[in-house]
Parts: sequence; structure tokens; C-alpha cells
Amino acid sequence: MTPEITFWVLAFIAVCGALVAVVRRNLIHGVFALMIFFAALAGLFLLLLAEFIAAVQILVYIGAVGILLLFAIMLTERVTGDDGRSIAARGWFWGLAAAVAVFVFLLLPAIQEADLPESAQSIQPSVKELGLKLMAPYVVTLEVLALLLTAALIGAVAVAQGAEVNKKEDSDDA
Amino acid sequence: MSFELVVAILIATVPLLVIFPSLFALTTWLERKALARIQNRRGPNKVGIPCTRIGLFGLGQPAADGIKMLFKEDIVPNGADRLFHLLAPILALIPAMLVLCFLPLDFSFVAVWDESIAKDIKAVQGFALDGAVIFFFAITGINTLSVFMAGWASRNKYSLLGGMRAIAQMISYEIPLVLSAVVVVMMVGSLNAKEIADAQMGWNWYVFTPWGLAAFIIFFIAALAETNRSPFDLPEAESELIAGYFTEYSGFKFALFFLGEYISMFAISGLAAVLFLGGGEGPWVAVYPWLAVGWFLAKIFSLIFVMIWLRGTLPRLRVDQLMAFAWKFLLPISIINILISGIAWHLREQGAAVTAGVWGVSLGILYVTAVGLNKLNRANVKPREYKYAE
Repeated sequence: MTPEITFWVLAFIAVCGALVAVVRRNLIHGVFALMIFFAALAGLFLLLLAEFIAAVQILVYIGAVGILLLFAIMLTERVTGDDGRSIAARGWFWGLAAAVAVFVFLLLPAIQEADLPESAQSIQPSVKELGLKLMAPYVVTLEVLALLLTAALIGAVAVAQGAEVNKKEDSDDA
Repeated sequence: MSFELVVAILIATVPLLVIFPSLFALTTWLERKALARIQNRRGPNKVGIPCTRIGLFGLGQPAADGIKMLFKEDIVPNGADRLFHLLAPILALIPAMLVLCFLPLDFSFVAVWDESIAKDIKAVQGFALDGAVIFFFAITGINTLSVFMAGWASRNKYSLLGGMRAIAQMISYEIPLVLSAVVVVMMVGSLNAKEIADAQMGWNWYVFTPWGLAAFIIFFIAALAETNRSPFDLPEAESELIAGYFTEYSGFKFALFFLGEYISMFAISGLAAVLFLGGGEGPWVAVYPWLAVGWFLAKIFSLIFVMIWLRGTLPRLRVDQLMAFAWKFLLPISIINILISGIAWHLREQGAAVTAGVWGVSLGILYVTAVGLNKLNRANVKPREYKYAE
């Protein structure tokens, strides 16, 4: 009984957070509403006894993605966040149609086909299992991913520095 | 939910909510006294028992401060975002209090009258979670948001600058903080706070190994920066930013920020005690299990005292020094430390000679790395150019 109540409360918070994130014109309010959504999602993962994914959800989505969004907003002109201008929302019909289509043709069949267990089952201890899986069968995948991400990181630094150097040269010429 | 379970949950959580806020009051007194001693003053010494002249070394000061904070006018600046201005101090306190449950403070000895309740308490303790250390780091990261929220909602340029500084600083120092914890996690092979503390039984504290000592020092420095303590208190640098992100806060909202900051200090010192100082281990714990909590709090307090001491000793860093220190010194040395501890883990339990060799070599590598990085960084420092001042 208690897990069900918790589920409905968390689901309600998640949906409200997502709605507010979409509807609010104020960018910073939107980002924080998105973070509420992420936090509620982490709670739902906990309810499924997937504690590692819950922790990573908080760590990556609230701690990294959310703060990145805030940084990005801070670097734009609209630091104050409130913006009277309305975003042209002409495509809302097609957006709604696409969302309904995804739900009806992808999610619903998947839910109906899936053989879901009655209650959540935990793998004990889950973090250790995950680590062993990552280190033994998937170690090559992990390394390739790490290499790719490192390359992306170095590339980002190179791009950022290149722009700055160019700017400096420009100002020196002037 | 049965009655026993409710009792168990209350016993597991209420002490945390009572002990740490009261310790906060004591710590503010200790900090003011210690700073005063360093600066050749007397510190708070008037407030003691009301209506008498008994001073009690000023121990009544925290209570007087609390009453003052409660009765102060709560001012919200014109044009501020009222909702976020209210939410920021609350958000500052929630993660700080939440992470306390991941410290292995075991209160199950309270339930001496009933074995089954002791078992129930053990079942609801947060630190027995399989990923307690990851949760700790994930939730402390949320603290950054409250600082940003306060800075942004105040609609004040100094507040906003303080908030921006706080985010940049916390992101930079979170990396060495987590990487130094990785050393211990690798050595133990577990993310469970209880298992990490138990692995150090018999005075096998990680601070007594070369890699553990290096990791402990890095962790402590990064923890200072994470909790905005001096010498890393740039987000609230009063000479530049008035009071940083809480410039526009008064009354009890300000007190909440203060409380949140100190509780984070307790939490991160507690994690340092778990990872490097053997958790609740100490003399006579085997005889009296309740002593474990006492030793744990004693370790936390010693770390807090060092933080206060550093605050009275060191000047504040500059922003560029702060960033350079995190990225060019702490990050490389913590990665090398992880490599060393990995090698040491593979060469463990192979006789005293091998252990001594590993210790010597790793100490040497760490020393050379520290000196080398220091030299390399100094070579790159150019004299600072002042654009807007002379």
C-alpha cells in the first residue's frame, strides 16, 4: 500500500514539474522545475530499488545538466530570466500529434507486451554487480566510450581556446 | 506500517536532527572563541545565565543570537523573485540535513530493551545502502543550487556574482573531492559507508597509508572549498562582494543559510572521518558500543577545529588562484594517487618487504609529483595585470 501512495505522489510531482518547466516563461523557473522533475524521477527509481540509477540521476541530471543549463542562461543576455516576449508556438498541433503517436504506437504496445513482475526486485548488492558487469563483459565498450568522451572534451577545450585566441589577435590588430 | 517500524525510523533519524543543530550552536561559539584567541581578543564572554552576572565563558551567546535572528525584520528587496528568495535558504538546509543519514552513526544501541527494534533500526539506516557514498556526493551537489538560487533571486549584482562564483568553485572542487574518495572506495571494494568504516578496524585507518594520507589532504582541501570555508570563501568575500549570495538576506532566512553551511561542514567532516579516520573506531568501543558515536563526533569536531584554525590563519585566495589550484594541482595529483593506490592494491599482502617498498616508492612519487606540479604551475604564472586599478 505504502509504495503505491509514494508512487502516485512522486508521479504527480514529476508531471507537475515537467508541466511547469514547459509552461513557465521565466527561464530560471523552468530550469528549477525541470530539476524537480529529475528529483521525482530519482525517487521513482528508488521505489524500483534501483538505488544506483537514482543516485546517478541526481548526480548527473541535477548536479551536472541542471547547472550547465543555469550556466548557459547566465551567459546569455536574459540573465534576469523573465522575458515578456512569447515564443511562437505555431507547431503545437504537430507536436501534440507526435507525442500522441509515440504514446499510442510505441509505448502502449511495449507496456502491453512486456512481462512485468508483480513487485520490484533488487539485485543484491546492485552496485557491485553493475561494476563487475562493466569491468568484465563490457570493458571494451566502456573503454571506447571513455576514449570518445575524452576526445570530445579535448575538442571542446580546443574549440573554446581557439575562439579566444582569435579574439585576442583581432583586438591586437585593432 | 507497524508501530515498531515507526519507532525504529524515529530512533534512526531524530538523533541526527537533534544532535547536529545543537552542535551547530556550540560550533558557532567555539569558532568565535577560537578566532578571538587567534586575534588576541576575548570573544563572546558576556551572555551566560539571564538576570545574573554569571558569564559561563559566553556559552549563552548562540541562544542570544538565535533569539535575535528570530525577531529581526525579514526584508525582501524590491524586485526580487519572492518565491525563490524564500525557497533558497530552505533548499540550502534540506540537502545538508539529508546527507547526515549516510554517515554511519549507529543509534541501535538505544534499543537495549528489545532486540527486534534494534534489528528494525538497522534495516532503516541510510548508511547501510549499497551506494551510500555515491548518494552522499550526489546530494551534496544540490547545495550549489541553493547558493545560485539565492544569488539570482536577490536581484543584486553582488549576490549574483557570489552565486556565479559559488557554482564555478563547487564544480571545480567536486572533482578532486570525489577522486580522493575513489582511492578508499577502491581499497575497500564497497560504496557502503558502514563497510568502509568496518574495513578500517584495528587501527588500519587509511590516513596511515601514503595514498590515504595524500587522499585525505586533497579531500580536506576540497571539502573546505565545497563548504565555502576560508581560505576558499570567495562566494561571500566581504571585501569584494559585501556578503556574496546572502547579501540580501536577514533574520531567520540568513540563520538558515548559516545553519545549512555548518551542517554541511559536519557532514563532509563526517565523511572524511568515515573514509580516512576509521569512522567510529576508538579505544573501548568493543566494551561500550555507544562510545562509537562519541568517537565519531570527536573526529568530526577535530576536523571542524582545524577548519576554524585555518580560517584564522590563512588569507583568502584570488579567483584565478582558486581555479588554477583545483585544475592544475589537485586534479593531476589525485589522478596519480588513484594510480598508485591501484598498484598498491595489487601488491597487497605479499610480505613486509614488498609493502615497505610500495610505501617508499609511492611516497616518493607523491612527493615528486607535488613538487613538480608546484614548480610547473609557478613557471606559468605571469605578473597580474590590473585593468581597472593600479
